[in-house]
Amino acid sequence: MRIPTQFSIDQVVVGHSARMRAIFDFVKVVSRSDSSVIITGESGTGKEVIANMLHHQSARRHQPFVAVSCALFSETLIETELFGHERGAFTGAIKDKPGRFELAQGGTLFLDDIDDVPLSMQVKLLRALQNREVERVGGTRTIPVNVRIITGTKRDLKQLVTEGKFREDLYYRLNVLPIVLPPLRERREDIPVLIDHFLRRFSRDRGIDVPDISPVVRHAFSRYRWPGNVRELENACERIVQTCTCGTVRVGCLAASVLFGATSLPDAPALPAMEPPKSISLDDRLKEVESNLIGWALKVADGNKSKAAELLNIKRSTLGDRIARCGIAVQNDSSEPMQASA
Amino acid sequence: MLSRERVESVLDRVRPMMQADGGDIELVEVSGNSARIRLTGMCSGCPSAHMTLYMGVEMALREEIKEFEELQVV
Repeated sequence: MRIPTQFSIDQVVVGHSARMRAIFDFVKVVSRSDSSVIITGESGTGKEVIANMLHHQSARRHQPFVAVSCALFSETLIETELFGHERGAFTGAIKDKPGRFELAQGGTLFLDDIDDVPLSMQVKLLRALQNREVERVGGTRTIPVNVRIITGTKRDLKQLVTEGKFREDLYYRLNVLPIVLPPLRERREDIPVLIDHFLRRFSRDRGIDVPDISPVVRHAFSRYRWPGNVRELENACERIVQTCTCGTVRVGCLAASVLFGATSLPDAPALPAMEPPKSISLDDRLKEVESNLIGWALKVADGNKSKAAELLNIKRSTLGDRIARCGIAVQNDSSEPMQASA
Repeated sequence: MLSRERVESVLDRVRPMMQADGGDIELVEVSGNSARIRLTGMCSGCPSAHMTLYMGVEMALREEIKEFEELQVV
């Protein structure tokens, strides 16, 4: 699963946006409480990070933090997963197994994707939360549990309640302290900080220097929609660190989806000016310009070298020398037009 | 048969960014429903850039031009 084994508060990046600062301040306040928290946010916005923070800043931090995604299990499996089962409760239940509630005893239980829990299971969940006790599948005794409940949802639970897909009583039981995480596209000002953070982390893991990033890449990152939110940005940075061969991140290093996604957005702001390169070879640059211009002339002249020389205002023999010096491949004889391809 | 203009119009979507970063894509040849491109400038020597642009440009070409067949990076 995607639960970080070693969570540390230092790993969390706050960012500059007012919304995230407000969220982190709120997290500090409510981490002292034992009330239920419900975290709403699109996939990849960091619901589990916030849940981890709540736990690690609370008085329960030396007790277990148990995270479980309710979307991973089928309707029947989720019950045994959360509440556990007794030996012989069903075929294959060869020994007693404690559920996630019991495993989180004294600590925090993070139920992610609560919006995927089927209605029938919601009743059982509500009873467990209200009575603060669970009953293993196939068991008869009730086990008291002391856990703080944090839930995560990608959909608006209130909306699901009106649609009849989520129990109203459970909703109010869970929704004591709501936290809403904005999608990354609504806090674009945090993107640069996040890029630097992830590049530093992945470079350190790989034991290389943090690569420079060209302004154009920053620009593309700031404009892309990031449907996968921070997780997608994190993966994009990991990809860059793993694939960059020249020490500077340029547009070529970007994933195709980011590159094309950033160019297809409407009301695009102007591209940033290109940074002056640290050092260039004048000879190479001149050669590049020269070969580009010769290429252009040859193209316009349909491969006829005499005409091309005229266009460039140089002698036919000089053109021949320069073509040889730049290593331009002239495919056709001077009298024949170049192959038209339209 | 595919026209150069249609291929160029797809390439033009990424060109401004490539050029701002000191590189470019050159359309070498269109033959049949396939095209050959060349990377020039800053990213031209980078294998990662080749892979990215190869995949990205081919995907974009196939999306916009239904009959598009194959892209080659030379």
